[in-house]
Amino acid sequence: MSRPRPRRRAGLRATVTLAFAVGALLISAVLALGTYLAARHQLVDQRERTATRQAYADAALVRDSLLTSGAEVSDVLGSISPPPGAVILLRLDGRWYSSSLDAAGPDLTDEVRPVVADGSVALAWTDETDPPSVVVGVPLPAVGGEYYEVVEAEELDRTLSTLAIALWTSAVVTTVAGALVGRAAVRQVLRPLRRVAGAATRVADGDVTTRLDAGGDPDLEPLVVAFNEMVDAVQERIERDARFAADVSHELRTPVTTLTTSLSLLEGASDLSPRTASAVALMSDELARFRLALEDLLVIGRLDAGARERDPSPVGVADLVHQSLAAASVPAEGRLEGDAAALARTVRVDRPQVVRALANLVRNATIHAGGLRRVRVVGLPGVVELHVEDDGPGVPAEERERVFERFARAGGQKVGTGSGLGLSIVRQTVVNHGGQVWCEARAGGGADFVVRLPSVGDRS
Amino acid sequence: MTRLLVLEDDVGLRRSLRLVLEDAGYDVDEASRAEEALEVVAARAPDLILVDLVLGGMDGFSFIQRVRPTTEAPIVVVSARDGVQDVVAALEAGADDYVTKPFEVPELKARLKALLRRPAMAGSERSPDADLEVVDPASGLVLDRGAALLTRAGAEVHLTHTEYRLLCVLLDHAGRVLSREALLEHVWDHSVHGDERLVDVHVRRLRKKIEPEPSSPTVLVTVRGLGYRLDVR
Repeated sequence: MSRPRPRRRAGLRATVTLAFAVGALLISAVLALGTYLAARHQLVDQRERTATRQAYADAALVRDSLLTSGAEVSDVLGSISPPPGAVILLRLDGRWYSSSLDAAGPDLTDEVRPVVADGSVALAWTDETDPPSVVVGVPLPAVGGEYYEVVEAEELDRTLSTLAIALWTSAVVTTVAGALVGRAAVRQVLRPLRRVAGAATRVADGDVTTRLDAGGDPDLEPLVVAFNEMVDAVQERIERDARFAADVSHELRTPVTTLTTSLSLLEGASDLSPRTASAVALMSDELARFRLALEDLLVIGRLDAGARERDPSPVGVADLVHQSLAAASVPAEGRLEGDAAALARTVRVDRPQVVRALANLVRNATIHAGGLRRVRVVGLPGVVELHVEDDGPGVPAEERERVFERFARAGGQKVGTGSGLGLSIVRQTVVNHGGQVWCEARAGGGADFVVRLPSVGDRS
Repeated sequence: MTRLLVLEDDVGLRRSLRLVLEDAGYDVDEASRAEEALEVVAARAPDLILVDLVLGGMDGFSFIQRVRPTTEAPIVVVSARDGVQDVVAALEAGADDYVTKPFEVPELKARLKALLRRPAMAGSERSPDADLEVVDPASGLVLDRGAALLTRAGAEVHLTHTEYRLLCVLLDHAGRVLSREALLEHVWDHSVHGDERLVDVHVRRLRKKIEPEPSSPTVLVTVRGLGYRLDVR
């Protein structure tokens, strides 16, 4: 069974553009048609009046000539000079006389003949000729005949077709212009929406300090106010959550300190039975883990609350790695690799934060991944990469992204410092510093956690 | 016997600190409130004071401010608060070092030991005059290492132990730049990842006492990006 595919709706821009175009087309078409009809009516009317006037004058001339005794009909017709393109027809005693040899008198005058026969002047249009002609019939009762004048409306036809072309062209131009105006208008209308979208994206990316500015536009004010209120609410929510985590771990710090302090007394005691001593050792190890988890929770709470506590200063890369190794209690001898230029690079970071993040990676390698192999420093243009490599089984490709999530466990095993937060702290710290962190497979087995940080004062 | 005062409002931590510190050979007094601690300081003149910042009644910052003029003893803050502002505020108030909860006991002991170390005295075979070192001839600032006394035109300038030790270290390397790390190691015995704000705040405090114009120092100068230098002319 196939589901009906949802029809993709046309976008706002397309819709508005189309609406403007159609609107412009309709308006220009109506106007053009009106103009055409009015002009045509006027021109036809004028043509008919001219033709009638001419026909009257010519008919009077013909009548007068015919009344002159002895005049031949053909001479009479030849003596009048009809306007160019006009044909004169004369019906006398049932016989047709014409000024043109090929004029088919009866056909041309079909429409007006009955009226003329009744003794009235008649006018009609005929399509027998091309272009159409106006036929004027004048009865000549004095000579018992009918006078007809057929005038081709060539000039009128040309004028009208020129006018039609002009009007069509302007209709098309107006339509296109309408579409363009529509496009521009919709772009103008969508601009604030795009700004809102951009701001929303920044908020989604974690920058909850983003706010919109209405720029004094009263129409945008409600949208901007609503958006800012929404972000305020989101920010407050995030900060409250972050504060909660921080507050909880903060409250636990004093009791944990009491435990650590008291336990140190027990550890120092020499008169413990082996069973008691191993119990004390167990407590000590677990307390150490608990402390790390507590610190991780506090750190993540603070990172969530924003990087406002960041206090960046330039630090040498080699220095950074040495401190991180020391913080993770790993001897530095032979662990640090990289060419001299790369090691001499400087990064601008909040030292305690980044040291903690790198120490997390080092500790991760030592505790969970068969031991740290080395920390390799690679200098690239504008950035420096720190590769924390281990001798463990490596991280399966499908887990490599997931290990950076909170409380993630790789292959059913805990990762990080045991709190499940270690690698997410690393990621958040590095991202806050404008860097990236990811996991690769090390050539020859094992995992390779790569921290890439922007470097400063590049000499490369 | 070296006498310590522990000002901490959490009973459990106060007791366990007492146990550990007594184990390390110190004589320990306890106080749970700042007002009480002020009396103990006056009555017993402890050699070092441990202070929590969050207390009922007067808080740790105010306590440090109140007690600082009355004693040269090092003051160590032991607090769960580790925000930049808190650390700096406590040091500005007059604390000598800062330990964040939860701490490792050996580390706390090492810090206390470093702060309680007596400043190196001049050799006894040298004549008293040889102990006198001119710090700033312009203002008549003279350090007498034999008597551990700083005088300006004959009048004593009070220094805390830590300030005195910092001045001695700077004077030993007069004219040379000392990095913040080096100062941390010489004055506080801190290992690699010490807090450099400790140095900055103490330098500021020392300047207030030895510089004629602390905001534009001429004796204890900052060397941008490298550290500090004492210029003796």
